[in-house]
Amino acid sequence: MLPRDYVRRGSMIREACLELMVERLREYDAEVVECSPDEIPAAIAAQLAASGRKLFVAPEGLPAAWLVDGVAWKIDRRLTTDEIEEAEGVVTAAFCAVAESGTITLHHSATEGRRILSLLPDWHLCVLRASQVVETLPEYFDRCAAPPALVTFISGPSATADIEMTRIKGVHGPRFLHVILVRDAS
Amino acid sequence: MSHAQLDPVYAPPFPEGALPVLRNPQLRKNVAHAIDVIQAKRGRLVAEKTDWQALRTSGSAIRAHALENLDYYLEQFEERCTAAGGHVHWATDAAEAREIILKLLREDNASEVIKIKTMTSAEIQLNPYLETAGVRVFETDLAEIILQLGQEEPSHIVVPALHINRSQVREIFARTMGLRNLSDDPHALTAAARTYLRQKFLTIPTAISGANFLIAETGGVAVVESEGNGRMCLTLPRTMITVAGIEKVLPRYQDLEVMLQVLARSATGERMNPYTSLWTGVVPGDGPQNFHVVLLDNGRSRMLTRPVERQTLKCIRCAACMNACPVYRQTGGHAYGSVYPGPIGAILTPQLMELKHAQTLPYASSLCGACYEVCPVKINIPEVLIELRAQVTDQERKQTLRFFDPLYLGMRTANLLFARAWRFHLAQRLGRIGLGLFTGKDGWIHSLPFLGAKWTQTRDLRGLPQQTFHEWWAARERGSK
Repeated sequence: MLPRDYVRRGSMIREACLELMVERLREYDAEVVECSPDEIPAAIAAQLAASGRKLFVAPEGLPAAWLVDGVAWKIDRRLTTDEIEEAEGVVTAAFCAVAESGTITLHHSATEGRRILSLLPDWHLCVLRASQVVETLPEYFDRCAAPPALVTFISGPSATADIEMTRIKGVHGPRFLHVILVRDAS
Repeated sequence: MSHAQLDPVYAPPFPEGALPVLRNPQLRKNVAHAIDVIQAKRGRLVAEKTDWQALRTSGSAIRAHALENLDYYLEQFEERCTAAGGHVHWATDAAEAREIILKLLREDNASEVIKIKTMTSAEIQLNPYLETAGVRVFETDLAEIILQLGQEEPSHIVVPALHINRSQVREIFARTMGLRNLSDDPHALTAAARTYLRQKFLTIPTAISGANFLIAETGGVAVVESEGNGRMCLTLPRTMITVAGIEKVLPRYQDLEVMLQVLARSATGERMNPYTSLWTGVVPGDGPQNFHVVLLDNGRSRMLTRPVERQTLKCIRCAACMNACPVYRQTGGHAYGSVYPGPIGAILTPQLMELKHAQTLPYASSLCGACYEVCPVKINIPEVLIELRAQVTDQERKQTLRFFDPLYLGMRTANLLFARAWRFHLAQRLGRIGLGLFTGKDGWIHSLPFLGAKWTQTRDLRGLPQQTFHEWWAARERGSK
């Protein structure tokens, strides 16, 4: 047996863990709002309206209630790259999020969408349930019933420090990340 | 400023390779600045991680276990990757890897490729080979396109363009992208690169990547990055070719829970890097539908047979050793004459070269051990350095011209003097008289002739004291009788 004496389970109480998650997201300039489960469509509508953007792509399995009025939607039923390139933003769910590092994990299921959907648009709204938030990275792995075929871990907008070690955000991929943290029963 | 290609076969000995940088204040400043930034961040995050040492222990154990069972895990990787729709190729050496990749590109009718940064492709000198064969290679990492467009060589594993400042970047982009009014603000430069590269991502259907980890359990490949060009290259094209050293294998997906925690903190001083992607074979409708992995040996299986040196293969390419190394801090990466610089390069490069080249690299160290302390997988770099030095010395023993080698002569002389106490004391007395001739009134020796000049060129030497301790003690004893 290989030694595994590192911390696997977090020790924070639930509320502190969620606060840490929000803090980490805000540290890398993601905008975070909270809402209750029945307020999700309203929260989405508010975020979309505030963005000033009009055309959004959505994964094929995104709940119909989340496809709010007031903007145009392209549902990803085999959209071409050009069609996705025209969109100004994307809305997805998530698989799990790790508070310690502020990492959102996508397994690219029907509600999270193909990888290209959360990559090309410049603006990404992620609907994250509180019950999906864990404290440590090992807890994420515990949540994986089986290893996924496709995974993307997002821990901030893209960044580079290649020019004189000056940290610049938003090289490729969405430069704007918004998160709705849904206070569902954990 | 341009350098010869970082090829250990042709690179000068380390002391010679270090000279251009030691004489370049701008570059030394850039290197020190970058190192300080990363070190400070790393230090904070490591202090915050109360189980850091436990993570290192596990990281080391996981990597050692994978290497001990490499044949098993590689075959498992091949089986699972193939079952998932990927194609796995085995390359004995750099030449074979290049040929396989070119053949795959020809099958794909590719005249252009986009590339994610990969040390492995630099190790096999892939780019020049492809260019000669008529394939245009577009690097997509910001540092890599700066280097590519500016025709420079990398100086650091993680921050390769560390030696190039903003006005130099501005000049390169303005010239090659035709942007006359480009400012030298890093934001503007990055925006220019984003626009330039987006076109490439959207139109070139063939990509080449490396791999940070290969997951045996699933046949998956993990790529860890900051800029997003990786995600672009592994999502948009039709064909993906991943080239990876055989030592990159991890047994299980879950092993990433250790590796990812230590990698980001060690490499860039972050809790987690912005983007990590993992894909398994081919997934219909999402990403490249034609996927190939080229597994590269190039001396690694031979390294596995060496009991002390095989720990070199545990390396996860975080570059923490470089940032901790007092030698690297002064010399930067070019001095090592290899795509793998710093402490890890000093042990990896000579081994990849079968000690036919890069024999000075194991000596590019004061053996302070800072590298070992920070290594997230506990590679005992000083131990390997000493082992390699022994092997280099053994090589030198066989050389017939060694009698003329100053080091050999010096060692034989010292051997002679130290063999008897009276010889040693005589040498001390003579040495005191001799060095006294060169000692100034301030008690320092500022200049010595011949071999001694090599020291006093850059350092002063303290003059020898009037008495050795033994002499002083003996006099004291006599005095008290």
